[in-house]
Amino acid sequence: MLFLQLIADGLVNGCAIGVVAITFTYVYTTTGVFHVAHAGVFTLGGYLAWYLSKEGIPFVLCVALAMVICAAVGAAIEKGIYEKLLKRQATPLVQLIASLGLLAVLQNLVAILFTPNVLQFESIAWRMKVLHFGPIDLTIPQVLTVFTAFAAVYGLIYFSTKTNLGRRIRAVASNRTLAEITRLKPFEVYVYVMAISSALVVLPSVFIGLDQAMQPYSSVLVLLTAVIAVISGGLGSIRGAFSASLVMGIVQNAVLIVVPGRWSIALTFTLFIVFILFRPTGLFATKIRRAS
Amino acid sequence: MSLKVQNIQAGYGDKAIIGEVSFEVQPGTILGLFGHNGAGKSTTLRAVLGSLPISSGEIYLDSKRIDHLPISDRIEAGIRLLPEGRGVFVGLTVEENLSVVAEANLRGATAGIQTEEIYELFPILKDKRHSLAGGMSGGQQQQLAFGLTILGSPRCVLLEEPSVGLQPDLVEDLFSHFRRICTQYNIAAVLIEHKITSALKIVDNVLILNSGQVVFHEDVNVTRNTDIWGYF
Repeated sequence: MLFLQLIADGLVNGCAIGVVAITFTYVYTTTGVFHVAHAGVFTLGGYLAWYLSKEGIPFVLCVALAMVICAAVGAAIEKGIYEKLLKRQATPLVQLIASLGLLAVLQNLVAILFTPNVLQFESIAWRMKVLHFGPIDLTIPQVLTVFTAFAAVYGLIYFSTKTNLGRRIRAVASNRTLAEITRLKPFEVYVYVMAISSALVVLPSVFIGLDQAMQPYSSVLVLLTAVIAVISGGLGSIRGAFSASLVMGIVQNAVLIVVPGRWSIALTFTLFIVFILFRPTGLFATKIRRAS
Repeated sequence: MSLKVQNIQAGYGDKAIIGEVSFEVQPGTILGLFGHNGAGKSTTLRAVLGSLPISSGEIYLDSKRIDHLPISDRIEAGIRLLPEGRGVFVGLTVEENLSVVAEANLRGATAGIQTEEIYELFPILKDKRHSLAGGMSGGQQQQLAFGLTILGSPRCVLLEEPSVGLQPDLVEDLFSHFRRICTQYNIAAVLIEHKITSALKIVDNVLILNSGQVVFHEDVNVTRNTDIWGYF
């Protein structure tokens, strides 16, 4: 019973990490920026929803507003920082450093505007309500985490393959120089990608906050786990990043049967190192070749 | 739309690759740009496209000066490039490649070169429309790359070694299609090609570069009666 509960909790964690992972890989494969400030947007989204719910705004509207604001923040980061750096021929390392700086700024801004302390969504009464699925107990926020994560993954896959903008984004990710000379306007595409990813990452942030608690600096570990999932899944694959996140979430929880909680992260990361040594391209790398 | 290049110089860093290159391409005509490796052919195309700044000289599209414009504005003005080797979106299917470029270049317009025309030119692309572009052979990728370059309403097309990876009979086909398209749609074109005998069948004028300098610039009829190999 305990084992099943651990697996279910792991699945929930994996779903939350999964949305961070797919949005991170969406930005990385399209823009080429190792966007660690994504963790800052993640934090900002959760705190915005918390603040709005405290003001008595209906929960669904709080999440929607937080998503819209974070989409605007993501677009502004792209326009104001990454685009300018790229146009000045900045190397990926310079962009990474800019992103790290931005992460620190966003986290501190959240701490100043709201609070640096751990906080909970006290105004949401239903957050502690437990639903029973046979031997497994899950809170409503946990169930919502799973549903929204699958909706985000399949929504993003549908968007990428079935819409013009989605295909245009994949084309830019595939070959930026060619995209530029075929009028696909890569810089405009980057803004869309940052806005979409920044909006979606609000979902796991809010539901983790509802289920557990929030703290401005805790998102770095979430992002680190997500990045590992992205690499294990095969860079550039949405399905791969999400599947690897689920595996990581489940492993992180399942190992609690044999090791104390404080070792679970170390053990998971060790397993990742072993995995990547044997399959450095990740789970879902596709075979493609360029004309020579 | 005519392309006029006047005394341009360009290079990488302090090193000048081309010096004082001039030519003019009228609408509906093709200029063959030949020369040995390192003669400055690709550098010239990059200067026209705008991916390489020129240190002196002037470039005009019709009568509008474009050498100070960024690549995006030159693309908007109608310049297209078929780059050597990397001309398709490898992560997309053939159909997606064509639809995404058609969407950006045609926006539903019925004028201009449509996706169906590309499929007629290269039936293999229609057969393989659900295949990933990156999974196709080099020759098939090159046909798709050519399709992506001419889709829409290009005014000035720059082709860099379009025959690479193609079987000899396909090269002749591709060239004759290209000749017809240029005439039909009034496109000014510059063709860099090492298969010179095939290229001479479709070009109107020939320009040979040697060490960044123009050493030969004549009408194709004059070229046919000249021993051009001495200029390489």
